[in-house]
Amino acid sequence: MNIRVAKVEDLMGMQACNLQNLPENYMMKFWMYHSMTWPQISFVAEDHKGRIVGYVLAKIEDPSEEGTTEEIHGHVNSISVLRSYRRLGLAKKLMLLSQEAMSSIYKASYVSLHVRKSNKAAIALYKDTLGFEVAKVEKKYYGDGEDALSMRLSLKNP
Amino acid sequence: MSKALQKRALPSKEQSLFKELLTLYETRQLKKGLKTAEQILKKVPDHGETLCMKGLILTNMAGRKDEGVELVKKGVRLDLTSHIVWHVFGLVQKADKNYEEALKSYTQALRFDKDNMNLLRDSAQLQTHLRLYESLVDTRHAILKLRPNQRQNWVALALAHHLNGNPQEARMVLEHYQRSLKNVPDYDIEHSETLIYYVNILEEIGELSEALSVLDSSAKSRSIVDRTSILQIRARILTKQSVPEADEAWRSLIEHNPDCYESFRGYFTYLGISLDESNPEAVTKLEEFVVQLPRASAPPRLQLNVASGDQFKKLVEKYIVKRLEKGIPSLFADLKALYVDKEKQQTIEGIVEALREEYAAASTLPASSDANLEPTTYLWTLYYLAQHYSYLSQPDKALSVLDISLQHTPTLPELHMCKARVLKRAGDYLGAARCQNDARLLDGQDRFLNTKFGKYLLRAGMVDEANSIFGLFTKKDAPSPAADLEDMQSLLFLLNEADAYRRNGKLNLALKKYIAVKKVFDDFEDDQFDFHGYNLRKFTINIYIKLLKWEDQLRSHPGYVKAAIEASKIFVAVSDDASIVSSLTSTSKMSDAEKKALKKAKKAAQKVQEDKKATQATNENKDPELIVPKDEDPDGLKLIGSPDALEQASKLLHPLTTLAPKNIDVWIAIYDVAIRRKKLLQAVGALSRAAALNPDHPELHLRLVDVKQRASSFPQAPPPPIGPVFTEAIAKFIPDDLSLETFNSQYLQKHSTDSHTVLAAAKALHKLNLPLADVENTAFTLFSPDVRLDVPTALSTVDFLASLKSSRLDEFRAQCQTTFPLSTVFKPSAELAPLREQVMLGSAPEPATEDTTP
Ligand SMILES: CC(C)(COP(=O)(O)OP(=O)(O)OC[C@H]1O[C@@H](n2cnc3c(N)ncnc32)[C@H](O)[C@@H]1OP(=O)(O)O)[C@@H](O)C(=O)NCCC(=O)NCCS
Repeated sequence: MNIRVAKVEDLMGMQACNLQNLPENYMMKFWMYHSMTWPQISFVAEDHKGRIVGYVLAKIEDPSEEGTTEEIHGHVNSISVLRSYRRLGLAKKLMLLSQEAMSSIYKASYVSLHVRKSNKAAIALYKDTLGFEVAKVEKKYYGDGEDALSMRLSLKNP
Repeated sequence: MSKALQKRALPSKEQSLFKELLTLYETRQLKKGLKTAEQILKKVPDHGETLCMKGLILTNMAGRKDEGVELVKKGVRLDLTSHIVWHVFGLVQKADKNYEEALKSYTQALRFDKDNMNLLRDSAQLQTHLRLYESLVDTRHAILKLRPNQRQNWVALALAHHLNGNPQEARMVLEHYQRSLKNVPDYDIEHSETLIYYVNILEEIGELSEALSVLDSSAKSRSIVDRTSILQIRARILTKQSVPEADEAWRSLIEHNPDCYESFRGYFTYLGISLDESNPEAVTKLEEFVVQLPRASAPPRLQLNVASGDQFKKLVEKYIVKRLEKGIPSLFADLKALYVDKEKQQTIEGIVEALREEYAAASTLPASSDANLEPTTYLWTLYYLAQHYSYLSQPDKALSVLDISLQHTPTLPELHMCKARVLKRAGDYLGAARCQNDARLLDGQDRFLNTKFGKYLLRAGMVDEANSIFGLFTKKDAPSPAADLEDMQSLLFLLNEADAYRRNGKLNLALKKYIAVKKVFDDFEDDQFDFHGYNLRKFTINIYIKLLKWEDQLRSHPGYVKAAIEASKIFVAVSDDASIVSSLTSTSKMSDAEKKALKKAKKAAQKVQEDKKATQATNENKDPELIVPKDEDPDGLKLIGSPDALEQASKLLHPLTTLAPKNIDVWIAIYDVAIRRKKLLQAVGALSRAAALNPDHPELHLRLVDVKQRASSFPQAPPPPIGPVFTEAIAKFIPDDLSLETFNSQYLQKHSTDSHTVLAAAKALHKLNLPLADVENTAFTLFSPDVRLDVPTALSTVDFLASLKSSRLDEFRAQCQTTFPLSTVFKPSAELAPLREQVMLGSAPEPATEDTTP
């Protein structure tokens, strides 16, 4: 599968992919907003026909704009891969590219994300494959009352 | 003081109240603002500006919009030379998405306050939105003159020139800007974006070496911080210059992301080695990357495109074995693009069948004998073959492979999904849905499986059940699953549900969903509005230009095209036969039997809800202030009864004349609408466009018969200048001395083995009022052995014969059943009821048999 930075023409495909895979969905304007603000850090995987089969949607949080001392960091809003294309390493590659762009372009010092406590596949991806650690548990984070793990990965070169 | 000014001036107390009013509005303290306005009006009831402000506030309050708009209009009339009243009027029109009128009001306002920044900025946004780039340049000029110190105003002017087709001017503005620039902070992403924009413009106007030197020096000084963009632009420019440094540039890009096909394509274009045909040189070159970047997926896969013969066989075998052993479910999806080459397809079949035998033998041996072989490898091999045979329309083979694999491992959702697809293609929509349910039941947490099942339920016509299945993953607090999916702009849902209603004969509900798709696209178009200002503030110009281009092409999306065509077909149908609407109106008052059925379906659905704990959504998108207007037309009956049905259809199709001109269905739909609206030239024009795409298309054939019939039934020839053109155009399609019967039989003879042609010819016979028996006989030739009949065409023929009340309908169905033994769609409805029930329950568990192969 072809993996590359997300373009404007991909946003509809990303939105559709998200709706098929995950219960947290967003209107087009939300996808546009990310692309228009941080055009370099969201990525897609497409099949031979150009259909979007996986994506990662990311943003940058710059707390200094709100006057706190926290560091600039990236945040993964949503990531998913259509079931028929899973276990190919797509999610891993999408994440790695996004992390690299966050760090090199925006000087993000770490990347954060939320994941359902019960989402074994995703947790394995973050923890075992990418090296994320659990920063804290957020009780009843999701609409249906499930807890979220708030996870982090440092992007600073050791 | 002029008269107008005298009238406008307020007594000093009211004057300060008015100022307060402006602040209250800006800080969204609407209730207080309203009170203040009323206080002023008590004293000065005809004060135009206050009336406008009051109106503006009301338009922001639930249920008082109309009243507000009226007040604004009144205020404008009372004070025609005030910039405030025109500004307010513009705001109200803008909020109503009436952008053209809003811009007019802003232009008026600017006449009386030409240096008002807010007015100028809003005008620029509107001009961009309306693509009025010439006037945008003027506005951006005016803004820059007023605020030359704001960086974004320079970039905005350059962009306006660029959009207006004048990149040279844009370049000059940007250069002027850079000269004036002092103290750019280190590592400034905004500056970096602007520089990339500048480089892009230089490249666009062909100043390649200049572009390259700016790029390189900015990269060196770290003024451009986006390394991927640097690599990409460098490689592109160096290739255009065809200099050897391009080699290195492409290689860096490939190393940075070795899974990006575009980089390989770019590199090979530079090398002059084709990746689009069999090419041993390309195989060799790609091999370098296979060795050098072992984890990259693109090089080995690209090799399969360009290899042939024995080399292909060797490569693809290695490729397949590796992935079967790893257990990669998407292998077939990955390889099926190669099947356009029949030889490759056969090679692959041979390889996988051989592997199957080998693995099958190994899997019967004791586990220890072949330590390298995982039992799942055999399973994935079977799975591959099932997809392979399904794709090649050999459902029996596919199903027998699936039976073996399901006995081996009944718990793999993929196998059930595959079986579902096979059955669907074979015309058993109910069985397909049942198998999809089997897959879902194995992993209820996965929304993907849930969505697939919902989609299959819709294909099987089980709309209520589908909605409750979708509801397992939609937001709890949404009015209904369908409402949530519509809010979330799910085209997959809207289009499939619309199709299901259409097939079930509920044209009103179908139309409503197709129009909902249109609205999604309207929203996508509106969504860009805020970014006209936003991206300039953020300096994200390069992606913004792409946004504008995408928006201009938006409705070329297949989802829009499909919805527009289907909706227009319904509009045409009701305009031909008004009784459709009246019968829909009476049937939508449900019969008792239907109510019962619905209740039953709901109950079943509820049970599903209870059985499975639903994964629910967060509501990040919910705006508490959003007032959701009540749907005044829940059944779409008003919509389908619209007196201007054909005009609506025409508007829906209009964008497609430029955005989807290669789609023959578009031109057919345009003809159907135009001829009924008596737009004769547009009608024959559409036929010519269709004929240029495919002169023998069955739908075109029917339209040619149609237009000729209509023309000869005109009481008198249409007058010049249009009449003669129209008549001549028809004569070009069907010579005057050729009867329509002959025309039709010639057409049929020409393609008598094509099922679509046969059906079209049968329909034409009916249009020509030939005896029913002739029509039926033609339809039955679909079953002659040399005709390739598929399920959808057979179904359309069933519908057609049913509409004629043909006495041979049952006979036709029975023959379909023989032709498609697996199908259920041709069965009488009584036989379908138990199958339908089975769908929601899932397949009955196989009786446990001992000693099956592991
Ligand atoms: C989670 C998800 C994105 C993973 O995508 P993917 O492309 O299949 O993942 P990858 O192939 O890159 O997997 C990388 C690694 O993650 C882990 N992993 C992925 N899926 C796993 C699974 N089902 N079980 C256990 N580990 C898994 C493995 O360690 C895997 O490495 P391996 O294949 O070498 O063993 C995908 O399963 C998905 O879209 N799920 C539904 C949506 C979702 O849950 N998104 C995450 C929301 S926070």
